Amino acid sequence: MEGNEGLDAAALAGRILLQNGAEIFRVEETIERIAKSYGLEGNSSFVLSSGIFITEEKDDKHFYANVKHIPLSTAHLDKVAAVNQLSREIETGKYTPGEAIEELHKIQNMPENPKVAQVIAAGVGSGCFAYLFGGSIFDSLTAFLVGGLLWVFLGIMSRRKKRMTKIMLNLSGGMFSTTLSILAYRLGMGDNLNHIIIGSIIPLVPGVAFTNAIRDISNEDYISGIVRLVDALLIAFCIALGVGIVITVYHKVMGGIG
Amino acid sequence: MIGQFIAATFGTIAFSLLFSVPKRYYPWCGLVGGTGWLFYLIFSKYAGIVISCFIATCVVVYLSRHLATRMSCPVTIFLLSGIFPLVPGAGIYWTAYYTIMEQYSLATAKGFETFKIGVAIVLGITFVFELPQEFFKRRTTKRDQV
Repeated sequence: MEGNEGLDAAALAGRILLQNGAEIFRVEETIERIAKSYGLEGNSSFVLSSGIFITEEKDDKHFYANVKHIPLSTAHLDKVAAVNQLSREIETGKYTPGEAIEELHKIQNMPENPKVAQVIAAGVGSGCFAYLFGGSIFDSLTAFLVGGLLWVFLGIMSRRKKRMTKIMLNLSGGMFSTTLSILAYRLGMGDNLNHIIIGSIIPLVPGVAFTNAIRDISNEDYISGIVRLVDALLIAFCIALGVGIVITVYHKVMGGIG
Repeated sequence: MIGQFIAATFGTIAFSLLFSVPKRYYPWCGLVGGTGWLFYLIFSKYAGIVISCFIATCVVVYLSRHLATRMSCPVTIFLLSGIFPLVPGAGIYWTAYYTIMEQYSLATAKGFETFKIGVAIVLGITFVFELPQEFFKRRTTKRDQV
């Protein structure tokens, strides 16, 4: 059953790509490329943002079908790059299907950046963006702190036993950053509360979902594009809502931004 | 201006780390993000926010495709990180803020502006991806990969 293994490799490659922030057409292209290089010509795949469907037929007979559900998740572009590289090497005949699957498992288990580095990066990102959007140096230092803490908060929340929904995660993320920003501002850190909040919510902003949505739609993958666009808009709305709730309470209690 | 460029560069690099971009691409991602922001700044003095955002998006997509072709890696790597400074995160905030403050005309203005920036990014991405791949190949000797 050599053929099946080749298709398993193709399906796995597609799955890793889709899970880690690749565009739909890249997933389809890669599946087709891998299947073809294992001599499977009757292959057809249908990729949505949340699932991959692959079939293979030979002499008018189906002999392979693979349906995988793939939940929306965060981008790991190193895995996308690695699978892309691997698929080119498969094309040159470097790997047997078995070896390819092994390589793909290795890619799947690639280590993440250390948590500390992620927290610092979220902080640096927040600080830089607070500055870009008109904040002073002090605003951006405060945003650095709040952005870093936000990432710690998100890490803790997504590790809970009962997985938090995306809506709740972004809503509470927005509330968390805003609360901390107000606290820091009240303690005399930073010059302008607005800029601190803008900087510190930046790690939540759905830039990846938004950009991928546009690319999918412009590649005429409408269903996936719309799903990703809804995802992006919903996240943006939740952030705004989270920020809004806290600011409203703050105004009612403290009588306004001083 | 230089301070802004540096902030945009490091901001982009920070986000490329969060998106797990392979380390060797960090400087390039930063360059794409920084240059995009620089174009945005320069043009926003003459042309208004939406048009400058469109131009900056075109620059970001162009650079991303160019780098992807040159380095044989998916264009997504540079694009997703480089476009981040242009995504209207601040617009989302101001819209929410003015709505809460019951300054509805300002809220509507900000909301529309955010939407228009979104459309400008859409157009920028769509236009520059229409350029044929050969256009990028001609400038480089290595094989293409986008």
